[in-house]
Amino acid sequence: MENPYLPNLAKIENVIEEVPGARAIKTFKLSFNDEKLQQSFEYEPGQCAMVSILGLGECFFALSSSPTQKGFIEVSVLKLGKVTAALHQKEIGEDLAVRGPYGNGFPVEDWEGKKILCIGGGIGQAPLRSLIKYVLDNRDKYEKLDVIYGARSSSDLCYKKEMFDMEKREDMDVHLSIDNAEEGWDRFVGLVPHNLTRIKPSAKNTIAITCGPPVMIKYVLLSLKELGFEDSQIYTTLEMRMKCGIGKCGRCNIGNLYVCKDGPVFSWAELRQVKGEM
Amino acid sequence: MRKDRIGKLVQILSRNTLYAPVERDGVTTFEKVEKVEDIKFDYQNSDVPPKNVLFPQTETTFKYTLGKDQKIEVPKENGKNIILGIRPCDARSFSILDKVFEKDFLDIYYSEKRENTTLIGLSCNEPGINCFCTSLDGGVGNKEGLDMLLTALEDEYFVEVATDKGKAIIENSPDLFSDASDEHAKKKDEINKRAESLMKRRISVEGIEEKLDKIFDDDLWNEVSMKCIGCSVCTYLCPTCHCFDIQDEATLREGRRIRVWDSCSNPEYTLQASGYNPRPARINRVRNRIYHKYEYYPKNFKVIACVGCGRCIDKCSVNMDIVEVLSRVKEI
Amino acid sequence: MADLAKMRNEIKKIVQRDDVKYVIGYEKGTYGWRVSPSFARTPEEVDKFIFSPLCVNNLAVYLVLEEKLPLPKGVEEEKKKIGIVVTGCDSRSVVQLLQEKAISRDDVVILGVPCSGVVEPKKMKEMFGKEIGTVAIEDKGEKYVIVIDGKRREVLKEELVSENCKTCEYQNPVISDILIGDEIKEKKKESYSKVRELEEKSTQERWDYWKEKFERCIRCYACRNCCPVCNCKECMAEKTTPVWIRRSVSLSENAGFHIMRSLHTAGRCIGCGSCERVCPMNIPLSKLYKKVEKDVIELFDYRAGLDEEEKPLLSVYSVDDSNEYIL
Repeated sequence: MENPYLPNLAKIENVIEEVPGARAIKTFKLSFNDEKLQQSFEYEPGQCAMVSILGLGECFFALSSSPTQKGFIEVSVLKLGKVTAALHQKEIGEDLAVRGPYGNGFPVEDWEGKKILCIGGGIGQAPLRSLIKYVLDNRDKYEKLDVIYGARSSSDLCYKKEMFDMEKREDMDVHLSIDNAEEGWDRFVGLVPHNLTRIKPSAKNTIAITCGPPVMIKYVLLSLKELGFEDSQIYTTLEMRMKCGIGKCGRCNIGNLYVCKDGPVFSWAELRQVKGEM
Repeated sequence: MRKDRIGKLVQILSRNTLYAPVERDGVTTFEKVEKVEDIKFDYQNSDVPPKNVLFPQTETTFKYTLGKDQKIEVPKENGKNIILGIRPCDARSFSILDKVFEKDFLDIYYSEKRENTTLIGLSCNEPGINCFCTSLDGGVGNKEGLDMLLTALEDEYFVEVATDKGKAIIENSPDLFSDASDEHAKKKDEINKRAESLMKRRISVEGIEEKLDKIFDDDLWNEVSMKCIGCSVCTYLCPTCHCFDIQDEATLREGRRIRVWDSCSNPEYTLQASGYNPRPARINRVRNRIYHKYEYYPKNFKVIACVGCGRCIDKCSVNMDIVEVLSRVKEI
Repeated sequence: MADLAKMRNEIKKIVQRDDVKYVIGYEKGTYGWRVSPSFARTPEEVDKFIFSPLCVNNLAVYLVLEEKLPLPKGVEEEKKKIGIVVTGCDSRSVVQLLQEKAISRDDVVILGVPCSGVVEPKKMKEMFGKEIGTVAIEDKGEKYVIVIDGKRREVLKEELVSENCKTCEYQNPVISDILIGDEIKEKKKESYSKVRELEEKSTQERWDYWKEKFERCIRCYACRNCCPVCNCKECMAEKTTPVWIRRSVSLSENAGFHIMRSLHTAGRCIGCGSCERVCPMNIPLSKLYKKVEKDVIELFDYRAGLDEEEKPLLSVYSVDDSNEYIL
């Protein structure tokens, strides 16, 4: 019988420093030591994995690479606590222990033929990146792709190079923003919800997915409702403190939904009627 | 089976790992026993439920070596277990816990032990003053989750077999058991009926799920949670509480990952590294616990995660009383 | 013991004050002999208050349990006081909290009640564990008069009273805004007889004794959570960087936790016995904490929780302090 708590060793192939400084973010490119496992490892955009350092602990991260990219998986890590700080010290070639994929992914098949609107803030862009790359690799299945992404300052923006490259593409629209004005920044300055109201995307046949700090999600939600989005058109991916990742330790629940198992992707229609604390 | 033959039965059963109620310093728990003298038969219910046999307080999920060459190794499961003298409510709690441990991802640590454990129950001749199992689909003679049930008559135990595992025990030592007569069966029914009539606490839980759905923001939870001091005794002694923590314990060279009991009444339970806590106040945690047992679990698994053993009422030092809270919920 | 009607009247006056949020006291429990902490915001709710030898909980813990949640913009924090009913030992807890500045004197209105002993819940359970109807107790000096369903019974006090109370030196509250009831004149003396019994044993015998007890601990942390003085925002047992005490349950970690907690509360523990009362595994914690209390008296001639102006014992030093242990 398969043991759901047993992780598999994976090597760090590459480390990209996305954001330096106090709130550092790094993206780790991992591949399982077991070749066969790496080839058979399948997941959907929005799913997550438990990455652990043996001897220290485990963390639940959203897989920020798309399943259409074969041969590796990527996770983006914000340095905040004991395990993430130790992760930031790891170098290329070292081993981590990974188990997954867990959670539900974005229902990408249901969304075929629709317009996709991604609204991200800070590290919240990580699961959205998986979705964006998936949509780009299946571009003809989706009508339109809009990405609204903002961070505190230009040095806090994740995936900078990728985002600037995506801005130049014809088959998608990218709207970047930072909270406070900076020299050399000629794009929008302000909070992400304000950027959203400025752009006024159409709600017709559109699915809006948002991820970021809780307070940003709250205001983005208000703006989306004003723009005419229905509850079933709004999706979000949440995070909680997690330990088992498989819905047994009882920690990450919002009402009767476990964020690790019934989530982390939820539609607002689902979240509205659940009785619990988020 | 004659009561005086219980010693022989224990001898045969202890060829496996036998757990039975043992008293130390006034506290009854289920521990490994080898002799019938160690077993306490005249107890109402153990203070610590036998869930620690299938779901231990501390359990190693796997060991590993560190350094250049990391290796992971899962410890081997050992032999067969028998729990003797478990009450029907505690046995029923296992069939409730089965649902969460077996859904989606099978928890092999729990389910391997569950498969290798035989439960021999002892029905209650007299209920505790805080018992309310009959209000929750339970009963003093309920066989749910049990492999065999003993009811104490005058000089004999009335033995009922519920599963093949229970049958195997009789087939193993046929000379200890004899056929029961209708008289015996009648006696057993009388004893059970009498015991159930002595149960003072009763509450109807019909429609409790829908009711709780409506009153999530009611002021009742403020009142109820004010006196809770968050000591977590109720969660540790509850037979259906299954919250746990996963930790790593290691030296520089090697270590192990363990699973330990945890409690949702702990303020740090849901504390995130950013400092945000979705359940910062006692009202959130007390309400979450009651909702988890009577609304969330039934929504997910169609059964109320409470067996009515009454330990939480007995052991709470500030007299938090779930039956009283539920009757107030019904009144709103 | 206090005159119940008089006590309720005094508390009603406090509850009606504009600057008081609520008063914490005791009310009848949901079955048998149980008594539950009660929070009264209106005079009607004060009518539920009782006071008897069944009131065992140390209510001072609620003063540090109140959560200070972040308020929405524009909403001011409600600066109101909390009234609390305390007996002799509980009042020392409140003084200890004042000494450590966990609460300030303006935050509380203290209603002191002189106490001639409370019952030991385990002994009550043995004797009256089967009674679901209300059990009421009256203290009549040497005896307790127990009334169940109208029937009266007399029991010798020493069969039911808590061991701690038998040698309590502070039966009158050491601090109060209002004193309800007559001061108790008798003076008892703490002889530490149980501690001395253990002290006289050899090291190996003592270790064997505690080894057996600590092995049974299930690390529920109830002892720590019910203690008013254990109010650290992050307990040393929960710390992960570094790990002082591992989460796994084993003799070494359990012993580590209990010994560390007894040392962290040295000079702060006032011996209310709540930790031993709540322990579900019946570990005799009062022996451990009384030993530390005895050591503190012998080494520093200091007793916790007596004077709110005094500085906490282990938070200050003077240049005359002994330096012999420094090599």
